[in-house]
Amino acid sequence: MTFTKAPRYIALAVALAAGSMSLPALANGEITDQVNHLSEHLGDYSQEVKWLEGKYGAVVDTYANEGKGKVDTAQLIEFWEEVNFHSAIETQYVPIYASIWQAIYGIKQGIDGGADISVVREQEQKLKEALWQALGAVKLAAQYQKQGLVDKVRTTESEPTTAPEVVDDIKNRLHKVVAKYAEQLTEVATTLVHDTYLQRFEGIEGALIEHDAELVEDLEKDFNVTLPQAIEKDAGVDAVRDIVEAMQTKLDRAKTLLADAEKNRKDVF
Amino acid sequence: MHRRTFLQGLGAAAVFGSMPFASRLSWAASPGAVSVDSLPPLVGDLTLYLGRGEGGLYENVLEAIQKRNPKLNLRIRRGGSAALANTIVAEAKAGVKRADLFWAVDTGSVGLVTDQQLAKPLPSDLTGQLKSGFQYPGWTPVTGRVRTLPYNTERVQPDAIPDDIMALADSDLAIGWAPAYASFQSFVTAMRLLEGNKATANWLRGVNRNAKKYAGELGVVMGVERGEVDLGFANHYYTLRLKSGKPDANVDLAFTKNDAGCLVNASGILALSDGDLPVNFMRYLLSREVQSYLATEAYEIPLVEGVAPPQGLPAMDTLSPPDIDLRKLADLRPTLNIMRDVGVL
Repeated sequence: MTFTKAPRYIALAVALAAGSMSLPALANGEITDQVNHLSEHLGDYSQEVKWLEGKYGAVVDTYANEGKGKVDTAQLIEFWEEVNFHSAIETQYVPIYASIWQAIYGIKQGIDGGADISVVREQEQKLKEALWQALGAVKLAAQYQKQGLVDKVRTTESEPTTAPEVVDDIKNRLHKVVAKYAEQLTEVATTLVHDTYLQRFEGIEGALIEHDAELVEDLEKDFNVTLPQAIEKDAGVDAVRDIVEAMQTKLDRAKTLLADAEKNRKDVF
Repeated sequence: MHRRTFLQGLGAAAVFGSMPFASRLSWAASPGAVSVDSLPPLVGDLTLYLGRGEGGLYENVLEAIQKRNPKLNLRIRRGGSAALANTIVAEAKAGVKRADLFWAVDTGSVGLVTDQQLAKPLPSDLTGQLKSGFQYPGWTPVTGRVRTLPYNTERVQPDAIPDDIMALADSDLAIGWAPAYASFQSFVTAMRLLEGNKATANWLRGVNRNAKKYAGELGVVMGVERGEVDLGFANHYYTLRLKSGKPDANVDLAFTKNDAGCLVNASGILALSDGDLPVNFMRYLLSREVQSYLATEAYEIPLVEGVAPPQGLPAMDTLSPPDIDLRKLADLRPTLNIMRDVGVL
């Protein structure tokens, strides 16, 4: 199971152009219904995490012992793309998905740049922590799934129809932005910011202006200036994540305001 | 040159800020608009392709229609208006027809479909409900939005604002604009179609001398209100919504005359299937109740005769939008080329 970046980029672009696919369908490669039956695959996922630990550890060991000439860092990307676990975590808890990519590229760039082994080991440790944290999140999601407490991951067309649903969708998309940026798909991340603004935020900002115009203006600046510029200037995953987290806080307030406004809305007929 | 058409048309500007919120949103529809009570019940299957609307308010309208017509089986496919228009055209080329109706938020998307002769002709009693200038044989506008000049009431007097959009390129007023914003680009497209490419490029250069750039058009209105600039370019609803939340805001609306500066763009709906059901569904959207709902809740401009506009806007017949086929606003590429050549994008 290998995926090159080009087809994945095309798949994402098509999904966004259609504008009607649910976000989970934007994961690396094909999202199968497996993500709706997590508990049946927890054993596989655990094995995959251990396998990944071994693979990344071996690459870093080779770098430590034999230098960068003996290491093919493209493998670091391929390992992660080999496993089914990536779609499980991408559909359940995107923030950790971004951290995994951040650490993988941390190792890769460290090796490619000939960094001291301690720097590379530090990134390897971050990757291990992120992988195990991700496995924990998937196990928790599996429990919730069995209890019917989480929505089924949608692989068919679906769009949010109420303002609070739109806000939730925006927040999910922004997590994706960090993930795609961490994956070094800068153009995809930028397009996702732009499309989220046009396809989602513009639909709710009108109602929001009446309740907190400064909040809307603030978010408009975040969407159109702060976040895309941070990505364009390659400010780093932590900086982009900080911007997104600040936006999430503002969006939580927006959701509360919009939900209250909807309660007071008059009837059509 | 400096004659003005602005809020004084209704005497609304003076009282707008002092009226309680509830009364500012209350509207009495004039006799003549068709009530939903007089419309036939909707029975049968309909598939609607719905371009994304105003934060769930279109959804509220559809839900209300569905609730009122329990024997209507309404299936909705949602997406961006342009994407759905392209889908309809592609489906037609493949010999497939899935949509009975297409409700788009912009007329450019309507044009993509009507240009392919896919829209069914509409009865004249339906199109006749629309205001003069908004009657089309193959589609009907639902609600509109007008381009405006929001201005800071502390920094500039209304009579200092030209009522000719082209004259603003020669003025010394500090101007706020959002060149990357889709509505602004539609406005520049209208100018290009009305005045030509060269005049539009010169206008962009002229305005750019005194312009401050904002990310979006709410930002423009907020910048005007804070006094960062004297006036700006924006759709009407930003100012009205800002003033509904902040009645003492230092901003009011001015309008140009007979040019792109007071372009009225619209959302529109068309039928892709024959028969009474799609047309009768459209009658519900043009009913007094739905038009009033969208005017009061979404600040959109009703385009049906006999339904009043959102308060704070002059009556439509006091505005003088340019005579332009709105469907041509889809031709955006030459506009973007000019804006890039001039260096404003």
